[in-house]
Amino acid sequence: MSARPIELIRKATRDFVPGILHSELRVQELVLVERRWAVERARVMAALLGAGVPRPQWPESLHWDWSSKASELQLLMASGFGVWCDEDWQGVMLTKTVGYSAALGQDEGKPVVYVDFVESAPWNWTIRAIEQEPRFKGIGSLLIREAIEQSLKEEFHGRVGLHALPQAESFYGKVCGMTMVNADQDKQGLVFFEFTRQQAEQFRSAGGKR
Amino acid sequence: MANDKRTMTLNLTDAEMVALEGLAQKKELSKTALIRQALRLYQLIDQRTSQGEKLMFEDDKLQKKAEVMVL
Repeated sequence: MSARPIELIRKATRDFVPGILHSELRVQELVLVERRWAVERARVMAALLGAGVPRPQWPESLHWDWSSKASELQLLMASGFGVWCDEDWQGVMLTKTVGYSAALGQDEGKPVVYVDFVESAPWNWTIRAIEQEPRFKGIGSLLIREAIEQSLKEEFHGRVGLHALPQAESFYGKVCGMTMVNADQDKQGLVFFEFTRQQAEQFRSAGGKR
Repeated sequence: MANDKRTMTLNLTDAEMVALEGLAQKKELSKTALIRQALRLYQLIDQRTSQGEKLMFEDDKLQKKAEVMVL
């Protein structure tokens, strides 16, 4: 794994906490992530059930299992990234460099870094129905910014694409400033979002926030 | 480290070089980046076909579907 220092904001105290952004995650790290997070997923699910929260309001990634995605990292086209802080994995992302292309403007048909999966640790989710506040803020922005960095290194000029879960659409559209391209019937109707090279540069130069 | 780079010499015919340069220009990639992409794609296809999956080309307009044989 390669790593570089970062800082996260602890929500409760607004303190900056040192952390590490790892790229080149290996299979075993993703398996360990899920081993740790599965316990928290179960805790969140129990709290949601206990509070009688209807299923459509549950976090849409609650059923994810990173250990089932880990084998993808054996392929050259896949990369894994993870945020380590407070002796725990605070967020992880799996990207791919093959199989998806830009749909917008002059770059149509050119390769993008495709964010296949990105998720914050369950304790970093805001779930008002069970009064859960995130431990750390900004994990998603940090990881999406890293996808842009990967795109630049790959000579893709910052182009990034992803299919958003409905609960995350406003994050990618309004917070990140990505363009909503279309609902993709090959991906259960999930909406494809894209960073053009200009949008990526705007997001990057704003420090991961618009 | 996985990101350490190694250098190799690649011998191509004129036609292969023309194809490489044309694709690199079209995709706005260096020749190295294009070959890296090609290798990733080849590895993916090889892995999936080795598991028994098929690679298909489909043309909705012409109602055509053809399996690509990968060697």
